[in-house]
Amino acid sequence: MSPGDDARKGWIRRSAGRVLGFFFFLGRRAKKTRVFVLIGLLPVIQAAAIKTSELGRQAPAGEGLAIFSNFLMIFYLQFFLVILTLFYGTSVASEETEGRTLPFLQTRPLSKPGIVLGKYAAYSLLTSLIVLVSLLASFLILAGGRLGSGAAWGIFLRSAAVLLLGVLSYTAFFTFLGVLMKRSLFVGLIFGFGWESVISFFPGSTQRFSIVHYLKSLLPSGPRGRFSFLMFRLEPTRPALALLALVLITAAFLGLAGLLFRWKEYLAED
Amino acid sequence: MTAVLEARHLSKWYGNVLGLSDVSLALEPGITGLLGPNGAGKSTLMKLLTGQMKPNLGQALVRGERVWNNIPLFRDIGFCPEADAFYEEISGWEFLTALVRLHGIGRAEAAERAEKALGFVELLADKDRRIRGYSRGMRQRLKIAQAIAHDPAIIILDEPLSGLDPLGKRKVIHLIRDYGREGRTVLVSSHVLPEIEAMTLRVVLIHQGKIFAAGDIPYIRDLIEKHPHQISVRCDRPRDLAARFVGEECVLNMSFGPEGRSLLLETFKRDVVFGRLPGIILETGIRVEEITSPDDNLQAVFDYLVGK
Repeated sequence: MSPGDDARKGWIRRSAGRVLGFFFFLGRRAKKTRVFVLIGLLPVIQAAAIKTSELGRQAPAGEGLAIFSNFLMIFYLQFFLVILTLFYGTSVASEETEGRTLPFLQTRPLSKPGIVLGKYAAYSLLTSLIVLVSLLASFLILAGGRLGSGAAWGIFLRSAAVLLLGVLSYTAFFTFLGVLMKRSLFVGLIFGFGWESVISFFPGSTQRFSIVHYLKSLLPSGPRGRFSFLMFRLEPTRPALALLALVLITAAFLGLAGLLFRWKEYLAED
Repeated sequence: MTAVLEARHLSKWYGNVLGLSDVSLALEPGITGLLGPNGAGKSTLMKLLTGQMKPNLGQALVRGERVWNNIPLFRDIGFCPEADAFYEEISGWEFLTALVRLHGIGRAEAAERAEKALGFVELLADKDRRIRGYSRGMRQRLKIAQAIAHDPAIIILDEPLSGLDPLGKRKVIHLIRDYGREGRTVLVSSHVLPEIEAMTLRVVLIHQGKIFAAGDIPYIRDLIEKHPHQISVRCDRPRDLAARFVGEECVLNMSFGPEGRSLLLETFKRDVVFGRLPGIILETGIRVEEITSPDDNLQAVFDYLVGK
């Protein structure tokens, strides 16, 4: 490794750190964050409603955890995670170009890949907090009487870890998409709710071309009852390989986003 | 001696549209005005010199080094963009401290510098208001503040006076002149000649992506005065005024406005005519409503200069 490479990496690290602080702060103030926090309350409200309706009857043991796993699959994995990471990931580049604020960053001593990494880290952190707080609240309500059980907490922690990996990998992919093209939100919607949904029901190895396949492969258990179709045809990848695949997806798309941002001229495109 | 800012045969295209064509320029410390009508290539040149765009041909250099992706150079550059764009949901104070901190400056020092810069542009009283609620003039001053807050030696300001009221303009002009006196390199663009004239004598004229002339203001004025200039005087007795000017050699041509309420003078010596006017008005008692220069906009001047 040459001294030039060391210096470049140093700039990227320092720039990412500075940008992270600023955009985590900006992200917290953004209107979309307030909207997503409210959306994150929906499963919590529903969980509370379910628990309230159970007050008059004796619920079967483990029913709360079964509902939690359905929540995880239907709301968090298939919807909330995708929509959050789509909006935050694509905005890493698009909010600067569309809002014409890029000159404020480009004319500072910041490495361009560092800007992308810093914004990615800030928005991943914000997204993780929104998702995990909502998930924890849902779990606490639904698990109810089984909070003393190590197994129940095991399910929660594994679910939280899967969602965290989902945040990191989806945000990386959508960041790349935002850096690459102008209509990234539209393309991202098609990818997130079209490709990712459809491809995971294909038999054989085709489903490995989706991010959600690796996330499902890491889940503690699939949904039960009438929502079990969501795991239909899942041919899981071994957990270690699934984890490796998600790490590689994250690293590859982030690396590509950083390189592209370094060489692309957004102002000339305007 | 290496120039602080340098363009070497810079060219830039936007698809099929020419933004800048073979521009060469070397700027030393002090204030340089970049003067040209809208769409002349001023912003393109500034974006190339601040490394926001990559030239198609030629080199954009700061202190002899290429600026594109040259991170350390940006420690010493302050740039005020033309676009009226901000992170709207935060206050002016938060915006400024955050941008100073992007330079790697610590929290306490960043706060100190932000305070100082907000003081310079007289925004301290409104520092805690959200930017979304700022007036056009306040937003413009905030943009200038972010360009100077980190105390750069090179300041590049794209149309910094646009949107400011006369008082605000005067304050910014004073600020820019102070920076020039301190030995900083300031490049400031405008499409209004008197604005540039108030800041510096050194100007670069840019038109249709090319440097048309570079020199001091008197030189540019000489260039301009080789072409006839129009002055319109709206008054109650334009024919009496015309009678007084008939004998003046400085006047080339005269005509009357559509309703006979104004006199249009054509002259090579604008300053002489302006010098004579007050005396004639006082002597004759003509009541003047308005004196304007219909072609006193840069586009007209450039059209003369390029022989349109």
